Amino acid sequence: MRTKRRLSPISIIIHIIMYALALFWLYPYIWMVLASLKPTDKIMTTPFFQGPFSFTNYSFLLHTSKTMNFSFLMALANSIFIAVVATVVVVISSAIVGYGLAKFEFKGKKFILGYIVFQMVFPSFMFIIPQFILMRNLHLINTYSGIILVYLMSAMWCYMCYQNFKSTPSEYIEAARIDGATELWIVFRLMMPLNRTIMSIIAIFTFAGVWNDFLWPMVVMQNYGKMPLAVLLSNFNMQYGVYLGPVMAGSVILALPIVIGFIILRKYFLEGWAVSLK
Amino acid sequence: MFKKNFNAREARKGFSMVSIFLIYSLIFFVYPLVWMIILMFSKWNFISTPKFAGFYNIQTVLSSEIFWITILNTLRFMVFYIPIVLIASFLFALMLRRIKYGKTFIALSFLVAQVCSGVAYSIIFSKLLSPIGPINIFLNTHFHFTVPWFTSPNMAMFTIALIVTWKFVGYYGIIFYSGMNSISNSLYEAADLDGASKKRQFFGITLPLLNAQVVLVLVLSITLAFGLFTETFIITGGGPLSSTMTPMLVMYNAAFQQLQPTYAATMAVFVALISAGIVKVTKKIIERDVTIV
Repeated sequence: MRTKRRLSPISIIIHIIMYALALFWLYPYIWMVLASLKPTDKIMTTPFFQGPFSFTNYSFLLHTSKTMNFSFLMALANSIFIAVVATVVVVISSAIVGYGLAKFEFKGKKFILGYIVFQMVFPSFMFIIPQFILMRNLHLINTYSGIILVYLMSAMWCYMCYQNFKSTPSEYIEAARIDGATELWIVFRLMMPLNRTIMSIIAIFTFAGVWNDFLWPMVVMQNYGKMPLAVLLSNFNMQYGVYLGPVMAGSVILALPIVIGFIILRKYFLEGWAVSLK
Repeated sequence: MFKKNFNAREARKGFSMVSIFLIYSLIFFVYPLVWMIILMFSKWNFISTPKFAGFYNIQTVLSSEIFWITILNTLRFMVFYIPIVLIASFLFALMLRRIKYGKTFIALSFLVAQVCSGVAYSIIFSKLLSPIGPINIFLNTHFHFTVPWFTSPNMAMFTIALIVTWKFVGYYGIIFYSGMNSISNSLYEAADLDGASKKRQFFGITLPLLNAQVVLVLVLSITLAFGLFTETFIITGGGPLSSTMTPMLVMYNAAFQQLQPTYAATMAVFVALISAGIVKVTKKIIERDVTIV
């Protein structure tokens, strides 16, 4: 029989405090969304939920800002393009490398595993300058490739794939080979579907990471037409910070896709944090 | 004979798959690493060929005032950030365990800050906390004072620590929360039988058994502190009076504004070394091998 437990007074207080704090934590987001819907001169002067709400700021970003050399629609497309390409390539390359490490024996494998772990030790900021020099030597400054190339493979995700693929029974692979499957078929149609969770985690974290990345694309890209959203918005904020309404609208466009993705895919985010911290 | 042949073919297949990583990392990891070392010991400003300069860069970095200012600022950030975020995320985890209704909503409200774009949240907070922003207007109308969040040299780094805390409390809190959940209830029951108070139980059971999580959060915080860039770049630009000048900001300016990549690269190496050193010392002091007898 189920007994209904009543909440003690302390428990009620904790509930109230936590709900209040949760709203307090959401407050910057709510303020951002509401501010993006108000005209610039009303944002700082009207109370929270009051004000003539409209989509003027968004249409400003779509139309007017173009005449100021800031095409937000283009930046949005750039961000999507860069993040999608990086995500697809990272998922595929991590799976292939992970499969090669997990299911084959060859000389030097131990050394390669050590080398992969060794790469994960370095903080990413160390590589900004030498990687910029690399892109410069390859004449890739101000190109999409210049931004994307450094995202395409990740030591950490290769290692994660290796660890996860190890536990997939080799009998499946043998059976597929007897049926005449190629190794790539095994990677795409066997290993990836059987390890759906880790593959989803890799995809989601790569997409979000590239979408939110700021310093690297800012260093490589000075061409306003090819900038991803984060960089263009930062530039716009620096030059036209007085256009508060459009700045907030830009922030909404930048932040909201990942936030909504997070709420929908929260299971994978939580699992991803759990595996990446081990 | 056949077996051996087969193995050799297998090995070739496996190695060729792994080799795409090796080739990639040769270009995007080893080559930059070599450049890093070249930059450290040469004179170069992006034009012509680098000239060997011995320990000139190392001397310049270590004797430049701005380098030490940024290290000091990072330490100041950590002094604010680490205690605040540790206590806050611990409290978050403890209280989340007591929540019966709407746990998901509360956890998500905190965690959604973690996935926010660095640029977007920096912009939001720079407007929210500006001298004429809604927070200061609220404080002024109700309590007749305002806070110079980002405009006072004494305050700015503290405010940065606060907004980074906003971002990371949910994340660290969930780390502690899952750690607490893995502690067996029988330990607390036994402690109850022995008449140990809740406070004793917290310091005697919960805290020691969360040692791994505390170390993890400390390491993450230290690494974050030395990599601080987006917030200070967008909100303060390093000011007022260099009080929020972080190593990354100086490296960025040196390399891409003043065209001194050698200085920036040398500085990056030292910052990484200091960061790794502090992580190592912290681990040595805090880390314990916890076993339940």
